Amino acid sequence: MRQAKTAYSGFLSGGGIPRRHDPHLLPLARIKKIMKKSSVDVKMISREAPLVFSKACELFIEELTKRSWNMTIQGKRRTVHKEDVAHAVATTDVFDFLIDLVHPNTSHHVDLNEDLEKKQ
Amino acid sequence: MERGGGFHGYHRHPIHPTSGMQQQDMKQKQPETTNNASTDDNECIVREQDRFMPIANVIRIMRKILPPHAKISDDAKETIQECVSEYISFVTGEANDRCQREQRKTITAEDVLWAMSKLGFDDYIEPLTVYLHRYREFDGGERGSIRGEPLVKRAVAGSDPGPFGMGPFVPGFHMGHHHNGFFGPGSIAGFFKDPSSATGPTGFEPYAQCKE
Repeated sequence: MRQAKTAYSGFLSGGGIPRRHDPHLLPLARIKKIMKKSSVDVKMISREAPLVFSKACELFIEELTKRSWNMTIQGKRRTVHKEDVAHAVATTDVFDFLIDLVHPNTSHHVDLNEDLEKKQ
Repeated sequence: MERGGGFHGYHRHPIHPTSGMQQQDMKQKQPETTNNASTDDNECIVREQDRFMPIANVIRIMRKILPPHAKISDDAKETIQECVSEYISFVTGEANDRCQREQRKTITAEDVLWAMSKLGFDDYIEPLTVYLHRYREFDGGERGSIRGEPLVKRAVAGSDPGPFGMGPFVPGFHMGHHHNGFFGPGSIAGFFKDPSSATGPTGFEPYAQCKE
């Protein structure tokens, strides 16, 4: 795993008592980069802001995964596919900002019933 | 072919002109830094891996949620990886707008939390506030040591593997209904109030009273 070579190198990793950060946090420097690139006029970012995001992204991934998995099992499948993620996004209000990302206009709309038939 | 425009136009290009450079960039070359004005915005080459969270981390978090027999397709992993970046961008944009309205230069943790609440991620606020408070207790945060009373003791009763061990996502707090009363000290509840009632010209500092 590349984990050891990423931003974790500055923190205690694995075992031990997480003095500063939970070792499973998402890399803070990467988060900060993404924040900066979100808009041309992002100037300064406090040290704590990426930290909040690291936990928030964890919660976000958990929620999106949970909802996607619900779509998967509705389709009586065991593999989460992109279509499940797209469906989860489409059925969750707070995920509206993701609609274009998961379901670009150029791609065809997947009919989940059709998908079910193919898989069975 | 571009994959989605997204809110802030992140794209994953199938053929990357600097693919040769990606190999040497396996390490995170930028160490943890404190506040600094961005000086690398002139970088015209955006390495794909810099725009997303490492896929291994994303997968690990997904696996925490999924039952052991579940499988994840590669396109689902990549999609969620892209969604995370979009989420960061989306919330940061809102937080940044607020800073600009209040003529502040630094996006703070409070700005991020405020933006999340505004954008509908109310359920995240409470666990994030607890997390942030613990970070400040143990690490001093960005304002020095804070020795306030524990903010939300009951939130973690019986499940405390470590200073930041949140364990599973804390359920059942009905976040949406208890904005003001829930956090106890008014300084935190004030977090959700109109910015015009913020303390001082520098803006909103709900933890200010806990400084000394």
